[in-house]
Amino acid sequence: MDIKKNKYYQAWFKNAWTYVTGAVLLSLFQIVTMATTNDPWGVSGPFANWGAWIFRAIGGSVDKWNYFSSQGAQATLSAGFLNDPGSIRNLGIIVGALFATLMASQFKFKKIKSSKQIVAAMAGGLLMGYGARIGFGCNIGALFSGIASLSVSGWVFALFLFFGAVVGSKFLVKYFM
Amino acid sequence: MAKEVILDCMGEACPVPLIKTENALKKLEIGDVLVVQIDHSCAMKNVPEWARKEGHNVEIEEVDDGEWEVIIEKTK
Repeated sequence: MDIKKNKYYQAWFKNAWTYVTGAVLLSLFQIVTMATTNDPWGVSGPFANWGAWIFRAIGGSVDKWNYFSSQGAQATLSAGFLNDPGSIRNLGIIVGALFATLMASQFKFKKIKSSKQIVAAMAGGLLMGYGARIGFGCNIGALFSGIASLSVSGWVFALFLFFGAVVGSKFLVKYFM
Repeated sequence: MAKEVILDCMGEACPVPLIKTENALKKLEIGDVLVVQIDHSCAMKNVPEWARKEGHNVEIEEVDDGEWEVIIEKTK
């Protein structure tokens, strides 16, 4: 029998899961994350640590940087990648996403279409990374985990995320279509 | 005579394929067919969703690993 026609294969690996399934799973894993690491889920914070480790590996020092000046931040940096739950989790997201794409046989190296895409990707990445760190959270740490912790800040973040997306979309249509 | 138009959205990420589809469909006559080529799985969801909501006839074809053609027949 052709596995591509198997209904369990299609339900689990091929067809996209519903938004409700995704929402329920995200909520459950948020609880698991809180219970096991004592911190809510965050994605962009560990990336700053990755940057610090890379900077250290090439001989730099972040000890005097305000962002890493707290005892907690220094302890996380000294403990290293393998002892940072957020770093391992981010690695898991990348590996898990790759696994899902391979199981659905949808993996593809995408071509870069124009130099505009490179400029847009770099500008977008820098703005998102800078914004996420200056705002102490991205759409996961500040929005999802904020709202899940019954914090008003999560809702404020959502409101301005909406305005930012409106402005971003206008730029996109104007310069990148 | 109904015509068939190909819209190349390979390598484009959301929401670019959707906006390009909306613009391309505006230029077509009723009965014409628009074939949107995509390799972005989110677009495989939001392009057909939008077109069906607008009332057009939509079919999705998986042409290769991670490549799809969304075939939209303009109905109004």
